[in-house]
Amino acid sequence: MATTTELEISPPVGDHRRRRPSRLRQKLGRFDVKASPYLYISPFFILFAITGLFPLLYTAYVSVSKWNLLTGRHGSAGFANYVAVLHQPFFWKALRNTVSIFLLSSVPQIILALVIAAVLHANLRARTFWRMGVLVPYVVAPVAVGLIFGQMFADQSGMVNALLTKIGMNPVAWHAQVLPAHLAIATMVNYRWLGYNTLVVLAAMQAIPNDVFEAAIIDGASRVRQFFSVTIPMIRPTLIFVIITSTIGGLQIFDEPTMFDQQNGALTAGGADGQFVTVTMYLYQLGWGSQNNLGRSAAVAWLLFLIILIISLVNYGLTQRIASEGGVSGRRGRRRKKVAA
Amino acid sequence: MRTTRKIWAVAAGISGLAMIVTACSSTGGNTTSPTTGAPATTAASTEKITLKIQTFNEFGYADLFTQYMKDHPNITIVHDKAAKSDDARAAVKNSIATNTVTDDIVAADLDWMPELLKSSDFFADVSTADNKNRWPDWKTAQATDAKGKVIGLGTDSGPQGLCYRKDLFQKAGLPTDRAAVAELLGGTSATWDKYFSVGDQFMKANTGAAWFDSLGALAQVANNQQAEPFESKADDSITVAKADSPAKTVYTMLTAHTNQSAHLAQWTDDWTKAFASDKFATVMCPAWMTQIIAGNAPDQKNWDIADVLPGGSSNWGGSYLLVPAGGTHVDAAKALADWLTAPAQAAAVFVKYGNFPSQSDAVKDPSVTAKTDAYYNNAPTGQIFSNRFSAVGHQPYRGSHYFDINDQFGKALTRVDVDKTDTPDASWTKFLSAVSQLG
Repeated sequence: MATTTELEISPPVGDHRRRRPSRLRQKLGRFDVKASPYLYISPFFILFAITGLFPLLYTAYVSVSKWNLLTGRHGSAGFANYVAVLHQPFFWKALRNTVSIFLLSSVPQIILALVIAAVLHANLRARTFWRMGVLVPYVVAPVAVGLIFGQMFADQSGMVNALLTKIGMNPVAWHAQVLPAHLAIATMVNYRWLGYNTLVVLAAMQAIPNDVFEAAIIDGASRVRQFFSVTIPMIRPTLIFVIITSTIGGLQIFDEPTMFDQQNGALTAGGADGQFVTVTMYLYQLGWGSQNNLGRSAAVAWLLFLIILIISLVNYGLTQRIASEGGVSGRRGRRRKKVAA
Repeated sequence: MRTTRKIWAVAAGISGLAMIVTACSSTGGNTTSPTTGAPATTAASTEKITLKIQTFNEFGYADLFTQYMKDHPNITIVHDKAAKSDDARAAVKNSIATNTVTDDIVAADLDWMPELLKSSDFFADVSTADNKNRWPDWKTAQATDAKGKVIGLGTDSGPQGLCYRKDLFQKAGLPTDRAAVAELLGGTSATWDKYFSVGDQFMKANTGAAWFDSLGALAQVANNQQAEPFESKADDSITVAKADSPAKTVYTMLTAHTNQSAHLAQWTDDWTKAFASDKFATVMCPAWMTQIIAGNAPDQKNWDIADVLPGGSSNWGGSYLLVPAGGTHVDAAKALADWLTAPAQAAAVFVKYGNFPSQSDAVKDPSVTAKTDAYYNNAPTGQIFSNRFSAVGHQPYRGSHYFDINDQFGKALTRVDVDKTDTPDASWTKFLSAVSQLG
């Protein structure tokens, strides 16, 4: 007790000197712990606010104004721009094309990326060579891809049609018919992005600890079973990333369909009957073409933003469910076996 | 989201760049003080300045810049060449939209002029007593706003002749000599009817080739020959929906002759490759097209050119130099643009690069009319295009929606002729619906 009293008495003296700065320091320390992480990441968010958020909101403002690109704002338009755009059959055509090209490119792309990554993950000879090989198309400039595929898919003099005629099939009107045009464009997209997605998935696969596979092998799981019950659940976060980014990229497709139209420049491209005009192309043509209608263009931009948001959320929900079902059952199965052992 | 961000980032980037550039050029101008003691006028002409000029494709100005800088030691010319004309167009429009001046002189294609004329305040009046009568009226008219202000100095032009394949003509039993071909198609009074009736004759000979490349290529000529193809000059209203509109007349005439077409859309790979093979016998040929044909089919020695055009005459394309009024050195820029577009310089550019001039005196210049082209069997291309140029009497009225309607018109023909997805009537209905959606 005496000792405690002594101890109790003596510290306040020293404490008085020491605690004051230490309280400040403590406060600062607490502040440091709480706030500095936000400060460290703030440059990104400040930059985002300037280059992302502000334009986003400003676009919303433009979309409810009568706005000519060259002569500026001419008063408020309310939702007239949205109404006008939604009443244009061309917008719906562009949306149809966008979704169709997106599905034709993203779905096979991710499935193929998974398969190729699984193959590359196996023990291959000269595997760095194979792994770098899949990335080569990604390095090719989009314009070059457009030129090469433009020659291949030319209606009369193209290589693809020449091959089709050789094997006794009718040549396809790649630029005139809707689905063939979408297929040709999706081929360009897949050519460019397949390798990239494969490498991302492969990296995730390599991060899976080996003992999980060993356990699965001991349990007698076949290669296919391992792939579906171990690999896919384990790379779920990466899969979600790949799916969301390819959704965003796929719905904003612009370069490939623009270059696919060799007859018209970017301001009028998309096929004679809008066979392969996409929403971003439509947006660009409205605002920067001869109409200079930035108001309607901004309305299309916001509609596209909402569409991407909705589709991304749906995708997220789907991947979450599909992947986690496999994951839970896989993990549970393992645990049960371990306990039994 | 990224799209909007991208677009605004581009806008922000360009305006940011503009600010940096203007800052640079103004310091460049200010740091060098005029020679002390010299009179004000001399001071202005010896002040060291930098002029930025933006062009696209190939204007053929490299030698002229060197010469101008030699003659004016105080002036440095910075040439900013856009890779594609679309890029240059976007740059000009962005600088108007953000009201920032990036270049002291900008080049603009005839196609953009109606848009730029609506913002004519952004540009300086470049007309002087000296250059007022340098061009024929139709050329200057395309750069003159409603109040009579001239914002552009004409550079080149695209008078059209008819390029044809000698060997295919011979196969079909038609004359091959270029004077005889011009005569066959009606000479100075050549009509579309005559062109299509000779086309019938050619098709009946079964050479395996078609008479022309595509309806779209002909439409470019036929519409440019109308006074008011799509819109009424009186009130800028769109007239295409009327049953007897010029557009409908041209459309009916062209779609009646789809059987003479090679169904090859212009600028596609199929089209550029066709110049080397035997796909079609004639092609509408503005002066600049001669280089495109020669470039795409260097080994095809049978192309020739006749001094004739169905329907009379027509001009396709050509550019202007414009001076933004908000620039730092407007007067110096005007002087340079004026010098670059003077007849002597325009003739020199034609001789070296083949860009056909638009200046009345340059067109008659001996160095221009004496030019021949070995690729076209030494055809006197200078003289032929000079004749074709003199025959051009007018340019069509281009209203607010001209280019969108023209684009839709071309697509309507492509649907019938190249894609074969629609009948002429169905395609016309789609055309009218697309035009009605313009806003």
